[in-house]
Amino acid sequence: MGEFIEVKIDLSECTDMSDVDKWVQVCPVNIFKVEDNQPAVIEENEDECTLCMLCVEAFPHDAVTIHKLYENGMI
Amino acid sequence: MRLLECESKEILSKYQIATPSGRAVSFINNLDIKPPVMLKAQIPIGGRGKSGGIFEASTSDGAKAKIEQLLATWVRGYKATKILVEEKLDIDQEFFMAITDDTVAKSPLAIFSSEGGVDIEALAERQPQKVRKELFSMRSKLPQYRAREIISETGISGRLLLGLGNILSRLADVFLDYDATLAEINPLALTRDGRLIALDCHMEIDDDALFRHKELIELAKEGNRFESERSLTEFERKAAEIDQIDHRGVAGRVIEFDGNLGLIIGGGGASLTAFDAVQSHGGKPANYCEIGGNPSVLKVKELTRLILSKPNVQKIAVIMNVVSNTRVDLVARGIVKGILEAGKDPAKTVAAFRIPGAWEEEGFKILSKYGVQYLDRTVSIDDTARIAVDNSGD
Repeated sequence: MGEFIEVKIDLSECTDMSDVDKWVQVCPVNIFKVEDNQPAVIEENEDECTLCMLCVEAFPHDAVTIHKLYENGMI
Repeated sequence: MRLLECESKEILSKYQIATPSGRAVSFINNLDIKPPVMLKAQIPIGGRGKSGGIFEASTSDGAKAKIEQLLATWVRGYKATKILVEEKLDIDQEFFMAITDDTVAKSPLAIFSSEGGVDIEALAERQPQKVRKELFSMRSKLPQYRAREIISETGISGRLLLGLGNILSRLADVFLDYDATLAEINPLALTRDGRLIALDCHMEIDDDALFRHKELIELAKEGNRFESERSLTEFERKAAEIDQIDHRGVAGRVIEFDGNLGLIIGGGGASLTAFDAVQSHGGKPANYCEIGGNPSVLKVKELTRLILSKPNVQKIAVIMNVVSNTRVDLVARGIVKGILEAGKDPAKTVAAFRIPGAWEEEGFKILSKYGVQYLDRTVSIDDTARIAVDNSGD
């Protein structure tokens, strides 16, 4: 978890992993990686999140949530 | 990167622009000199003639003595390791020509003057009819006919116009091919035997384009181009390393000072304004720096930690102009994180935070959470500097 941003992946929403490489590559600041054919978060990069929401759109519905830790809000 | 005169002249020669015959030397043993010659210290700064960096010698022994003297003399903070020894020419007339960037028009600009060897800005004010300026397109470059049109407006005609037009067009090619920010020949001499020769040349290359010019990178790496009175401090070297962490934005062009107020400043020239304002209000900056271009959170964080690592720095002032491409929230994250990692309290460490602009609402939310007071665009940079100085004494 970052100081300001936490990115969560709900793997139960990711039933078909055939596009996992495409999901992680949309992030402009490298917050995601593929580990054991599953998407994972690179914690040290979480605070670089620009809130662009490209990951939310690219991942399966509701799989990724972005949490702003400085206002206890989820977007 | 500013090229030395001899380096610039090598480039001119590749473009068939004539320069005086001669060569750069570092020693006088077995040196064959055919006087009269001009001796020019190769240092990256102008005004050499008035500062004792250029001599004329009429005998071989006299030239060798002057070369030794130039190699041992500091001129305006620099000491040459090479002296350019060139034939002395019999000059009939001098001209000025330069290609530079017009940053407002976002276009290259050709400048020509029928009077050379002068301060061109002063001449343009005194006798504007002698200086002509013309923007041109990077795509279509500066063809000879357009170069001649510019020059002819100063009253030059005939064979001289053809020759000058040719050189100005080629200088534009040099400027574009080398990603220069300035390519200037001053003076360009017309010799009594009718030749046009570039007596001096000043070229500056865009640092961000150096990767496209491997030969210049190698040149920059040479540690013996010249000596400088001031080399990078360890603090400045570390800051430069931070700036190299990734390509995003700038966060690291730092100059160290011995004050107690750390500065994280920038924004379209505002860093100089902020620095001066802090000083004018009695503050003592620990550093000058430039941030901008939307640096990554990591770069801002590391720069903050570095500045706070100076033993006498307990407070930092974060001051920028109104930003558009730099995001306030990302800078705020970097500042707060750097302070936390330095083991300090952001609320007590930030003497002033004034970055209005893109994503400021989000940035202010972050600062609020950590108790950092922020100033918006209604507070001027000068007032922010005063507040920072007032708060830095706590």
